Amino acid sequence: MSYLNNPAVVMDNGTGLTKLGFAGNDSPSWIFPTAIANAASSNAKNTASSSSTGGAGLAASSTGGSSAASNPYFTNATSTTNFGNLTTASLMSNNLSGKRGTEDLDFYIGNEALTASQGANYSLNYPIRHGQVENWDHMERFWENSIFKYLRTEPEDHFFLLTEPPLNPPENREQVAEIFFESFNCAGLYIAVQAVLALAASWTSSKVVDRSLTGTVIDSGDGVTHVIPVAEGYVIGSALKNIPIAGRDITQFIQSLLRERGEVDTSLRTAERIKQEYCYVCPDIVKEFNKFDRDAEKFAQYVVENQDKTRQKVVDIGYERFLAPEIFFNPEIASSDFLTPLPTVLDQTIQACPIDVRKGLYNNIVLSGGSTMFKDFGRRLQRDLKSIVNNRIAETERLSGARSTGVDVQVISHRKQRNAVWFGGSLLAQTPEFKGYCHTKKDYEEYGPEIVRNFSLFNMV
Amino acid sequence: MLHLQPQNILIQKTLSEAFDALNKGTSLTLDRIISDFDYTTFHVSNSPEDKSILLLSIRTKAWQSVQKCQGSIGLLDYLQSKYQGCSGAAISPQPEMGYDLTLQITLSQLTGESLVQLSLLKTIVLSYPFQLAFDEFAQLSSTPVPVEGTPPVSNTLHTVQYRDEESLFIKPASDRITVIFETSFQDETDKIFGKVFLQEFVDARKRNRSIQSAPQVLFSHEPPLELQHQIQPRSDPSKRFVTFVLFPRHFQTQELQFNSVAQLILFRNYFHYHIKCSKAYMHSRMRFRVDSFIKVLNRAKVDEEDDSKGDSSVHAQPTRRTITGRKMVY
Ligand SMILES: Nc1ncnc2c1ncn2[C@@H]1O[C@H](COP(=O)(O)OP(=O)(O)OP(=O)(O)O)[C@@H](O)[C@H]1O
Ligand SMILES: [Mg+2]
Repeated sequence: MSYLNNPAVVMDNGTGLTKLGFAGNDSPSWIFPTAIANAASSNAKNTASSSSTGGAGLAASSTGGSSAASNPYFTNATSTTNFGNLTTASLMSNNLSGKRGTEDLDFYIGNEALTASQGANYSLNYPIRHGQVENWDHMERFWENSIFKYLRTEPEDHFFLLTEPPLNPPENREQVAEIFFESFNCAGLYIAVQAVLALAASWTSSKVVDRSLTGTVIDSGDGVTHVIPVAEGYVIGSALKNIPIAGRDITQFIQSLLRERGEVDTSLRTAERIKQEYCYVCPDIVKEFNKFDRDAEKFAQYVVENQDKTRQKVVDIGYERFLAPEIFFNPEIASSDFLTPLPTVLDQTIQACPIDVRKGLYNNIVLSGGSTMFKDFGRRLQRDLKSIVNNRIAETERLSGARSTGVDVQVISHRKQRNAVWFGGSLLAQTPEFKGYCHTKKDYEEYGPEIVRNFSLFNMV
Repeated sequence: MLHLQPQNILIQKTLSEAFDALNKGTSLTLDRIISDFDYTTFHVSNSPEDKSILLLSIRTKAWQSVQKCQGSIGLLDYLQSKYQGCSGAAISPQPEMGYDLTLQITLSQLTGESLVQLSLLKTIVLSYPFQLAFDEFAQLSSTPVPVEGTPPVSNTLHTVQYRDEESLFIKPASDRITVIFETSFQDETDKIFGKVFLQEFVDARKRNRSIQSAPQVLFSHEPPLELQHQIQPRSDPSKRFVTFVLFPRHFQTQELQFNSVAQLILFRNYFHYHIKCSKAYMHSRMRFRVDSFIKVLNRAKVDEEDDSKGDSSVHAQPTRRTITGRKMVY
């Protein structure tokens, strides 16, 4: 039973990015796109495979040490669709090209997948859509490779903590269990709801005084933004709301602005970098426009370099610095079919919850996910929500004549916000009790896949 | 096929991140756990006094048995010799609490070469008994064989307990080195897959001319004869033995030695990865099958609207369908 000493593996597979690592660490070991490049149909492959570098076995890769320090695939990704300017030649060969009957082994994941798919031999797939697994075949292989190649673990020796989006159908859980217990024989498995983990992650913030699992989580990733009320660790599914605006939409909005102005580089990659490096949330958009017009300093420039840093292109950055994240607060500037601002959705969500938990939901609003990283995002949200709440209180006071005790609105930003889900998982999985809450391989064999429909909630105190 | 590298890429990544950060003038605060196959855990942390010095500690299941291997050189001396030329790295005299060995890394002196060497730590620890075997082979094979007699034999058998249920044995002789893996499976399905795979290892060499130079592989239920008295009676009847026979051409040069050892050390992991891949492949086929059955079922659904229309126009002749649900055409 020496696996008891092995650290648990925490995996957060998001729509855009996968976060992998070991429990007890403060950040994920690997962050890469949830993408898989599969070998295209075999006859298309045979024609093109001659170009790949066959026979680059262990020898070549292990002794050619000097280049390893700067292996480009090692960097943590922040982008889900773009990776470097590398050509397929920089990929490590998997020695499979041209071998028949091994197509199912011929694939790459993560950053390598993005590079591989530039060639004709591989087609790129994103197995997760809107937080839920769409293609189990691809997902199974994605896991296979992440566990063995990237994490270098024998799944039989480790416990696993996986995450799932809110309202994930129980059938999906069973699929996960089948894969993890039957294919991988993992020692134990716990599947946690992302929002609950995000709440646990917020305990690191100094603003959080009691470690409760009650609060509203705003999880905004790449594909969709969820507003999730959680009471004592249980998601209030009936009140949960989705907003079809998230990272990808903001990037596309920036791209459209760049195109309108006719900038020299209007690729998604540039738009994404601009989003992550220059955008912020402003308190008032009219004033901000004026500020920009008065003060040219506010405009920025983004320099695009080609691979060998020989030629440079300069992209001007203008109002999109504050306009892009403004989509959350005034969706009408980018879309015509979804028009409710985020603070309003947040208020509606909490109002739809049982009255006795509303206070707790208002004063513990926790941010999570990459798209909540904009500067002052939390502050603006808190201000707007506060004014909605105060207006309503004033209105009821006027109508009823009674004084209200008021509602405390608090939005919590913290340092682990970006990978909050993963971090919460790491916190929970490092506790000694964790393994007791997992379902083990033995349980699975005894009861079958439906065992994972229920996990007891565990609260570390 | 999985491209498993002999070095731990996560250590490599972590160290190069720390190195890059230092070059940019910020030092990373690290306190990370990194894992590797077969109950191996690494810990990377800052040294308490100086942030630009990192401590890399390893704890591995195999350590105890590797340490017990007897030979011309002690384990620590061997490791010392491996890390002597590695710039920026030194073995610290006292291992960190709970770990077997700790290396001190001076980030500013790190080179690409030494980075790889550091991330090879586990492979290097495990290569020790192999090195002893190589040395003994060299000694045995250089002793002249008496004209009328048997070549010198060695009683040495290095045992590496790298997992709870499985060990690996290394036996040097005057003309070869035999490496024997015990394998046992916990899962019933794995047993069957494992058997097929292992048989394939043996057969592939017979069938495929291009891999004739690969080491010979044997697969047996009983421990190989020459070892039977040295391996205690089997505790588990389902245990199998996989034997690799290395000939001098597999370890003539330093480089060949390294490659052979690195691949042997990763043998079990490759093996299990591919068992898992086959299961995944079967799952894909099953999903495909289920999908196609569902399609058939959907086609067989009675289409209400269609039928009523058919009734009125074609003189109430009942619509007949084939077994797949398609309508018959008259
Ligand atoms: N500093 C930043 N500022 C703004 N956006 C960012 C920043 N860093 C990352 N992002 C965006 O966050 C998104 C990825 O976030 P995250 O990893 O939380 O999503 P995910 O977990 O993959 O998706 P989901 O949770 O929806 O399944 C990307 O669209 C990325 O562009
Ligand atoms: Mg997410």
